[in-house]
Amino acid sequence: MNAKENNINANIPQELFVPVQVDQSERERISRPSLTAWQDGWLRLKQNKAAVVSLFIIIVIVAMALLAPIFSPYDFAQTDYSAIYQGPSAAHLFGTDGFGRDQFTRIWYGTRISLLIGFVAACLDLFVGVTYGAVSALLGGKVDAIMQRIIEVLVGIPHLIIVILLMMVLPAGVGTIIVALAITGWVNMARLVRARILQLKGQEFVMAAQVLGTSQKNIILRHLIPNTVGVIVINAMFTIPSAIFTEAFLSFIGIGLSEPKASLGVLINNGYAVLQNSPYLLICPAIVIILIMVCFSILGDGLRDALDPRMSK
Amino acid sequence: MKKLLSMALASTLLLGALTGCGFTDSSSQNPSGGGDDTSGGTRDTLVYYDSNEIRTLVQWDASDTQSFTILNNAFEGLYRLDANHEPQPALAESYTVSDDGLVYTFTLREGLQWSNGTPLTANDFVFSWLKQMSSDATNGYNFIMTDYIVNGLEYGEGTATADQVGVKALDDRTLEVTIKNPTPYFLYLTTLSMYFPLNEAYVTEQGENYGITADNMIYCGPYTITSYDPAVGTSMVKNETYWDAANVSIPKVEVKIIKDQSSALNTYLAGGLDKVNLSSADVPTYQNDPEFHTITEFRSTYLQFNLDDPAMSNLNIRKALGYAIDRSILADTILADGSTAAEGLVSFGVSGNGTQTFRELNGNLSPFDADLAKEYWAKGVEELGYEPELSMLIADDSATKQIATFVQSQFRDNLGIEVAIDSKTSKARNELMDNNNYQFAITAWGADYDDAMTFLDLWIAQSDTGKSTPYRGNYGNADYSALITSAKADANSETRLQSLLDAEKLLVDTDAVISPLYFKGFAYLQRSDVQNLIVHPLGNPVEFKYASFSTAE
Amino acid sequence: MLKYIGKRLIYLVLTLLIIVTVTFFLMKQLPGTPFDTERFNNLTPAQQEQMLEKYGLNDPVPVQYIKYLGNLLRGDLGTSFLYTGRPVSDVIFSRLGPSLLIGIQAVLLGLLVGLTLGIIAAWKHNSGIDYFTMVIAVLGVSVPNFVVAALLQYFVGLKWGILPVAFWTNWFCSVLPSIALSFSATAMFARFIRTEMLDVLEQDYITTARAKGLSQFKVLMVHAVRNSIIPVVTILGPVVVNLLTGSLAVESIYSVPGIGSLFVDCIKNNDYSTIMGITIFYSAFYIFVILVVDILYCVIDPRIRIQGTKEG
Repeated sequence: MNAKENNINANIPQELFVPVQVDQSERERISRPSLTAWQDGWLRLKQNKAAVVSLFIIIVIVAMALLAPIFSPYDFAQTDYSAIYQGPSAAHLFGTDGFGRDQFTRIWYGTRISLLIGFVAACLDLFVGVTYGAVSALLGGKVDAIMQRIIEVLVGIPHLIIVILLMMVLPAGVGTIIVALAITGWVNMARLVRARILQLKGQEFVMAAQVLGTSQKNIILRHLIPNTVGVIVINAMFTIPSAIFTEAFLSFIGIGLSEPKASLGVLINNGYAVLQNSPYLLICPAIVIILIMVCFSILGDGLRDALDPRMSK
Repeated sequence: MKKLLSMALASTLLLGALTGCGFTDSSSQNPSGGGDDTSGGTRDTLVYYDSNEIRTLVQWDASDTQSFTILNNAFEGLYRLDANHEPQPALAESYTVSDDGLVYTFTLREGLQWSNGTPLTANDFVFSWLKQMSSDATNGYNFIMTDYIVNGLEYGEGTATADQVGVKALDDRTLEVTIKNPTPYFLYLTTLSMYFPLNEAYVTEQGENYGITADNMIYCGPYTITSYDPAVGTSMVKNETYWDAANVSIPKVEVKIIKDQSSALNTYLAGGLDKVNLSSADVPTYQNDPEFHTITEFRSTYLQFNLDDPAMSNLNIRKALGYAIDRSILADTILADGSTAAEGLVSFGVSGNGTQTFRELNGNLSPFDADLAKEYWAKGVEELGYEPELSMLIADDSATKQIATFVQSQFRDNLGIEVAIDSKTSKARNELMDNNNYQFAITAWGADYDDAMTFLDLWIAQSDTGKSTPYRGNYGNADYSALITSAKADANSETRLQSLLDAEKLLVDTDAVISPLYFKGFAYLQRSDVQNLIVHPLGNPVEFKYASFSTAE
Repeated sequence: MLKYIGKRLIYLVLTLLIIVTVTFFLMKQLPGTPFDTERFNNLTPAQQEQMLEKYGLNDPVPVQYIKYLGNLLRGDLGTSFLYTGRPVSDVIFSRLGPSLLIGIQAVLLGLLVGLTLGIIAAWKHNSGIDYFTMVIAVLGVSVPNFVVAALLQYFVGLKWGILPVAFWTNWFCSVLPSIALSFSATAMFARFIRTEMLDVLEQDYITTARAKGLSQFKVLMVHAVRNSIIPVVTILGPVVVNLLTGSLAVESIYSVPGIGSLFVDCIKNNDYSTIMGITIFYSAFYIFVILVVDILYCVIDPRIRIQGTKEG
């Protein structure tokens, strides 16, 4: 057997042996599409069941906020003085308030406004706050000193005075509230990001990147910001409810939404006044806001796990 | 970290020990204790509360109910309102009035004393009244004296001297007051805190410190103040030097500040208060409780139309808005606190001709009629040539917001129009109104004395413009001002009353300058053993003097 | 370091001056006068003029500003309009004590409970206590503090009668307001420390520390916590200032004579001198706390260099 095989081998002419042509480009071919940090994050997020469920609930809440007021048989402003302070029933799922208005419609209408305000506040945080903090920490020196003093001045001037003055020049409404929020809403985020980047700036991987000649822009976008994501996400989670309640406070002192419009914050404020007799007027909007917060928190944690390079295993 | 925490904790305790943290343990009993400390037979303290701070106790500076409440019980005027809200002799034992009704001569009681033992004389009245009429007075109540007392206004503006003013001490016990016009309600005025006496020597000696703390004041009323903090409240004890001390039954009174309504209710339920006001949402729960009561005040809330505004200058539009509001729903369903639907500007209970009240005489001037409202609206729109867009200016407090929401819904339901609500801080709202920059607004007025004049003379025309102030809607009907002016000078009570009745009709019905909404009421709980805690519907609201604890329970 | 602190203190004065100036001119734009409008309107124009003249409100605003700065340099904050005749410093200090006490207690409670929960939650990731912490953290920020305050008052104060319902008569009165106030701070501290700890516990140096046989406690306290505390320290500044300068809602629910309600009242009533007094106090306090936080950064994490301490 062996001899026979050897024989066969021996019979193969030498010229048949040619070197394998290794295609250099083929060797380095990337079989799956290259993923940016963000795409990678999305893939990992999808694996986190709790985060996906939260995302789904948030989508449902947003849909309800957009659609429920349209499909509800009641208008958010429609009063019915024969049906005030009615508990939850088939006709009024969440009961009625002191004017006989359908609380179900009002809550979803309010959710719409509160989500908008929360969204704007979060955007301000992400764009203005993160940029401001990052720039301040990276440039350092005099620029940092001046930028930090500007923050101190902004925080030092009583917010309420500015708000009352705003109210004199702008019409009451969501726009005015957003302007009011814009003035100082991003300050905490800026300070947090600055602190974290100051901490990161001196670390080895940043130095390594600098040595390798990475551009300043890429150091910020690829190295510093992703490492700051944990803090950013969590602070954004705190910004949303605090914006929603700031709005409620402003409405309470007269700058906010004018009746009959309502936000979740306003509904909670109003519900608080009748807590002992009609607790559902407080509980229902509170549950919606807590649900929104729980889902955003879980989603936020999921996002952080997915986006933070240090969390990848 | 732990070290840090324990250090911080230690320093807090130290701080607490050093500063005392401003705790104000002034009462002997624990006011927030269990619920059963009220039934013991040894009750000696009445605990009352106010929902706003007592910002001042200086009478020429005080302009709010909270301050009036304290002043009324720590001081006294020539007369004091009794349980039926009628003036009764207080520091004065009697008075005489000249035939033309212009000169009042009051005789003070014998042996009156301030709480520090100084004798109280007629000069103390002259001093305090002159102060109230001068530019020293910061409460804005100068008019309540200068409208009546001869040369008062001129004295305040510096064009008359003190001895030209119509208030004189003839001797220590005789005070002579000369007024401009016969004023049937002048005795009511003397029960107001602005008319209380002040001791010149003491007030001058204290200077800027007068009224800052309980130790910087002397008293002449049924109680003396033992502690005073604007944000915490006031403690009072019975004044032993008071002329009628024998008839003051409760030895101690505490007036606390509790700003939050439900917090006040919780405190009452925990046994920490003797009386608590209820919000409308709480009324259904307690309305069958034996401790539940309601009262009404001489206070009207109304829509003020601005006649300078192009749309609001149309009478039919104004009438349409007035007829479109079902005020009984507002009073019974929305407010539900004892407030009543308004039937005119002058509230229920304000005196009329002695047998009938003013309101009974003038009937319902602001009825609800949705059909009529639509008719007027259509007529108004036709005259204007366009459908006006309306906006209602309101102050930002929660009560006004509630009313505005209701009024807005009534316009929507009964007229089919969408009225915007423009809510501003009360300063901003007032400035907009003063600057003539509004269409219509929700406004309220409380009576200073028991006469329709306290409401009606607000709309009198200004001499320079021939119209009422922008705040009062630029009302320029000369007939109205003529009626008010003639009533002011009229010594005949019958024709005077008729002028006022006609004036109200003109203002509310014929010209529809305002549209009344409701007369303010209060629903409250009060411990069943508290007797005769009198609350007046006007002026100085609360009397602790007549109150007592029943021993039956 | 001393040079740096000195420089920051100079900045503090400059920043304060800017804040004072801007606030002063903005405040003068507020509608109305310090006097009650309805009553003020009852005065004749001559009387109104007298009133404004008496309080120097007739001068042009820049003149009023110069006068105010002059008085300020002499340490005179003026007298309050709202509480007629009282010096502003007296008004502020009488209201500061209660706010400080409640605020400090709330911060300490928040730190103690928040950090403990957060650290344990991170250590026992995905355990019962982790979920419990997350629930607290979410409730803490999504339930407004006036609702917490009202519920505590109703149950602890009224139903169970354990603590006073309201008022400010002894130390026990400060317990419920402090707890109500600490709720959101607890949530924030727990949330930040937990997240950071989760990061840090993954790091190599923690593995190294464990590998070389340090006790679990030491690993946590010495290595993990110290490296996780930066965001908490950053957030501590504003939280401390917010809690110590009072909360309108909590103060009014528990009838605490604090500074939170004073600030809102004086702004709503155009009490110019008190507005300025509180603004100065509040900003100086805020800037000072931020300075302390910046110094703390360097103490906690020696790798952090702030401009001015060493190189540029």
